[in-house]
Amino acid sequence: MTNALTRRSLLGATALGFLGVHALASKVGARAAESDSVAIGWPQDVPSWDPNQRFVPDAQPMFKMVFDQPLDQDPKLKLIPNVVKSWELAADARSLPVELRDDVVFHNGDKMTTADFRYTFFERIKAGHKVDIANSWRKVTDIEIVSPTKAVMRFDSPAPTAPQWLAFLGSYVVPKDYMEKTGVDGFREKPIGSGPYRLAEYQLNARIVLERNDTYWGPKPKMRRVTFEIIKDPSARVAATQSGEVDLTISVPVREVQRLKSEPNLAGELNPITRVILLQVRNDLGFADENVRLAAHHAIDKKALSQAFYGGAAVPLSVPATPGTAAYLDDYRFSYDPELAKQLLAKSGYSTEKPAKFTFASTNGNFPSDYDIARALVQMWKKVGIDADLEVIEYAKYFELNRGAKLPEATLYSFDNATGDPEIFAGYLLNPKMPFSAWKGMEIGQRAIDLFNVANYDERVAGYKALNKDAVESGASIPLLQSVQTLLRKKNLAYTRYENGWVRADTMAWS
Amino acid sequence: MIVQVLGLFARRLLVAIPILFVVSALVFVVLRVLPVDPAAMSMPPNATKAEIEMKRQEMGLDRPLPEQYAIWLDKTVKGDLGSSIHFRRAVSSLIAETLPATVELALLAMLIAAALGFAGGLLLFHLRGTWRGEAADLGSTVLMSAPDFLWGLLFILAFGVLWPLLPFTGRLASSFARPVHTGFLLLDTLIEGRPDMFLDVVKHMLLPATALGLAFSVPIMRVLRSSLYEIDHADYIRQARLRGVSEGRILLRHALKNAVLPTLTLMGVQFGFLFGGTLLIEVIYSYPGLGNLMVDAVRNADLPIIQAVALAYAAVVLIINMIVDGLYLVLNPRLRTV
Repeated sequence: MTNALTRRSLLGATALGFLGVHALASKVGARAAESDSVAIGWPQDVPSWDPNQRFVPDAQPMFKMVFDQPLDQDPKLKLIPNVVKSWELAADARSLPVELRDDVVFHNGDKMTTADFRYTFFERIKAGHKVDIANSWRKVTDIEIVSPTKAVMRFDSPAPTAPQWLAFLGSYVVPKDYMEKTGVDGFREKPIGSGPYRLAEYQLNARIVLERNDTYWGPKPKMRRVTFEIIKDPSARVAATQSGEVDLTISVPVREVQRLKSEPNLAGELNPITRVILLQVRNDLGFADENVRLAAHHAIDKKALSQAFYGGAAVPLSVPATPGTAAYLDDYRFSYDPELAKQLLAKSGYSTEKPAKFTFASTNGNFPSDYDIARALVQMWKKVGIDADLEVIEYAKYFELNRGAKLPEATLYSFDNATGDPEIFAGYLLNPKMPFSAWKGMEIGQRAIDLFNVANYDERVAGYKALNKDAVESGASIPLLQSVQTLLRKKNLAYTRYENGWVRADTMAWS
Repeated sequence: MIVQVLGLFARRLLVAIPILFVVSALVFVVLRVLPVDPAAMSMPPNATKAEIEMKRQEMGLDRPLPEQYAIWLDKTVKGDLGSSIHFRRAVSSLIAETLPATVELALLAMLIAAALGFAGGLLLFHLRGTWRGEAADLGSTVLMSAPDFLWGLLFILAFGVLWPLLPFTGRLASSFARPVHTGFLLLDTLIEGRPDMFLDVVKHMLLPATALGLAFSVPIMRVLRSSLYEIDHADYIRQARLRGVSEGRILLRHALKNAVLPTLTLMGVQFGFLFGGTLLIEVIYSYPGLGNLMVDAVRNADLPIIQAVALAYAAVVLIINMIVDGLYLVLNPRLRTV
């Protein structure tokens, strides 16, 4: 017998190897969807299972499945009752009486009462728990318990958006007794909520498995089991949807949505949401001159940006608010007019030969096509006589740079506001005391600050409408586009579309 | 022999301490000179300047850099790697949760690289001087020129989408409840006595491990081939031929045994690079390991995690190199006489 390596033995070994891999690998792509389960490809994990801890917009659709917020929003973003069945903000916005449902139980069987409500929004904060809601509810001086279902929130100054915040980031009711018993770390390990699903399995950065809570007080979701596969790479999310590993995914490249929506079994969507893409601008340095700011705005062809980077689905914006929200101005348009831009620059002594110069920052990969938009803006500005020096910053550094007054004249920014309330749009973006606002000019800034104390809703909205227009016309704000949520799903998977981009598993069903 | 190997391990461990010290100091200083404020990063956007300042003091960031490092080092030696800014959890628990996944992946990738490297090396040697040999050499150059993440994407497209043979997200199918014993899933599934689950874990690892191992197989291939060339002219090989021993037997029984030693050294060196390659591969394959955690940490400027992960990477590479050196000692009797 010989041990010589021959072509035959080599081919034989290769064939054996191939068969081995083939035998090992079963057909995974043909994962048959069970009628009551769904797999969702999600771009980000939860920061932890303490829902009050960190404000992460992408984590909200997962938290909302396990925990309950006091109030909820309907698909059109109207505030609706949830575990709080009635509420009425006082005329001076310094107190908010609430009434809880009496049939809400946590996953461990404990009944939800106003003690849990007080613990979440007051006692945890006073106890020094490291939770982001300590900042959103810092005005709370006390929560008076009237009965197990009735309580009154008291504020040290007007809190006109308190009801909106009861349905916003981080505001989830946690069980007082359970958390006190387990401690915060213990709670994160085994979280208990009162939502439509309970957490069945969690693997950091990999998978979240939810099982339907059959004792849920509200409508029972159709899906018995929901799996969130954490897939951070957009291309991998697309591939996972194509191969059938997941049934639905979001935040994929626009071109992939356009390519795959012609597939027989897939549906691709470009959904405008309550997120604005805008330039956050300073009122000094190269932007001290209003003519330069306005010229920079008039030089931008927003329709072309939308067409080039969002297939035309992103609505060009003239104010820092999205269509359909309270302070959006339907009949107001800021014109795209390169000639006017040149005239404004000429008034300040600039031209294409002697361009106005400033630094412009953008993220790269924070939202779809951000850096491409930035590069397009630089080219648009160049044509009218503006020479912008583009630099890339990490999104996480925006606030830090802003606090230190180190942001450049303009920064491409994306701002999410699931509530749609004007305070959380123009108020946050233009109030010089807020970390979001790069604008520190007080003529606009003071008006934003004052609006934070206006209790009357109609008066408040009217104030923000006027502020929106004046901010744009003085170059304090350069809104660009309404952001678009990209979504791929199996055609026979139905879900309810929310205008703020929430993708809620409890609304999903197979058709 | 065991005494000699243990002695080597002891010497290597002694050397590892100053290396880890230097690595930790470098990482610490580099991260501190970056224009990132960990105190600001750990607070919500609407935190006030006073709140951030209070946080800065709480984190000890207002102290001189050497003092900060001394505090950090003291805690690290005691096993306290600090608390994550983003996750607000002990960094040590995050590392413990993710490190086994990466080690498991890197070891399988090295195994695949070695298998392909050895098979390819033998093939290249066997086909030497023929046009097939030239073609195989060209093929190996193509293999080496594509980076691991590109192979990763191509494999997903080929074996995940176009020809859906293997899964490409996570470590285990969602139909299985993950066993929790050691964190090493291959081991845990065996402890549970679940061969079906073991097979599923292997399936989940095949594509990322192959993508990772492919580019590293080529240097192994080439070093093995070169070693075989050299040994082919050795006296003992000529004598074996004169005795009428078959070519296959000469290659596998005599030549390979001696040619493998330089390859082993190369594998030890390569492992460091391969381990670093897990960063991108883990993100592409949604593999919940240390690399994935590191990418998250960089995105969130989570300095405590970044410095701990960097240290963990360095420690793992040192340990693997130590094991390779030990193996070298076992396989090479000449070294044991020194």
